[in-house]
Amino acid sequence: MRLLMTASQIRGLPVVTVDGGEDVAEVRDVIYSPESGRLVGMTLNKRGFLAGRRREVLSAEAIHAVGQHAVMVVDDSSIVAPEDAPDDVGRPATERNVIGDDVLTEGGLSLGTVTDLVLLVGSSGEVVGYQIDKPGDGQGYIPLPAQLSVSGDALVVPNLTGDFVEDDLVGLGAAVDEFRDRLGLS
Amino acid sequence: MARSIGRKVVSRSSAQELGAVNHLLVDAEQRRIAAVVVGRGKKARLVRWADVSGFGQDAVMVVDDGALGPPADDRERAAADGKLELLGRRALSERGNELGQLDDVTFDADTGALEELLIGDRRVPAGSLLGSGSYAAVLSASAEAVTSADASA
Repeated sequence: MRLLMTASQIRGLPVVTVDGGEDVAEVRDVIYSPESGRLVGMTLNKRGFLAGRRREVLSAEAIHAVGQHAVMVVDDSSIVAPEDAPDDVGRPATERNVIGDDVLTEGGLSLGTVTDLVLLVGSSGEVVGYQIDKPGDGQGYIPLPAQLSVSGDALVVPNLTGDFVEDDLVGLGAAVDEFRDRLGLS
Repeated sequence: MARSIGRKVVSRSSAQELGAVNHLLVDAEQRRIAAVVVGRGKKARLVRWADVSGFGQDAVMVVDDGALGPPADDRERAAADGKLELLGRRALSERGNELGQLDDVTFDADTGALEELLIGDRRVPAGSLLGSGSYAAVLSASAEAVTSADASA
């Protein structure tokens, strides 16, 4: 079964070691590369009531799996200082944040603004869609092509995207493959 | 394993009752019982499995009075504090999905080898156990299949 989760559902999940069964950290935020359409890593908080930010980060390669209840890592050594992590994890470019960006189709139609990322979890970590705030029409979910060109203030998506605005994650899960199939054919 | 909690621990050489089983410490990597924890907290003592001469229905027999010792390393200290008790622990698959609570574990009383993990009404082979700690017992992805197969039945 494929499992889709939004970035906000992943925030706050415990980071648990497979070998040790210990909760070693908590997800503060996901780090995402819009160009590659992938999760590249996570920033972390400490566990517990007095939890503060942890300086260390978790790169996507060190993640064993992301599930509904936890982010699994092999062991403690998966969590590294930012300077020991790949550059896109240790020093992510802040201007690449897509939250709040307008989603415009190639034909010039605005579908809404991005409110969250939707990730295919398990061992993949692919970003397959966005949660959007539709103008005057509440929340929706749009699938993304495998590759996406990210310009300055807006995200330009294929016209076809307008036909695939879904109401929930279940709908989006079913729509992603068909959307990508039809993009490939056109 | 659940039935052994509270069972008396008796020295084979002196026939003295040394205490009662608080819980069993499991070595997840070897999938076997590592030690019997007697008492709790500062007064907790451990008997390594090698010093257990007979794990019986009515008593756990240990070789002699000296078999009971204080925790020797960090893991044993954590066990003495009750932090590593497997029963009642959250069962988490390596995929990061919760399967329920680990209610009981069956093991071979002669060898200490774990046999099955009982999670609700599901029985998962002990070979699925990948790790266990203060947060969760981590099971291989195949344990999820056992769960869903039983749940749909």
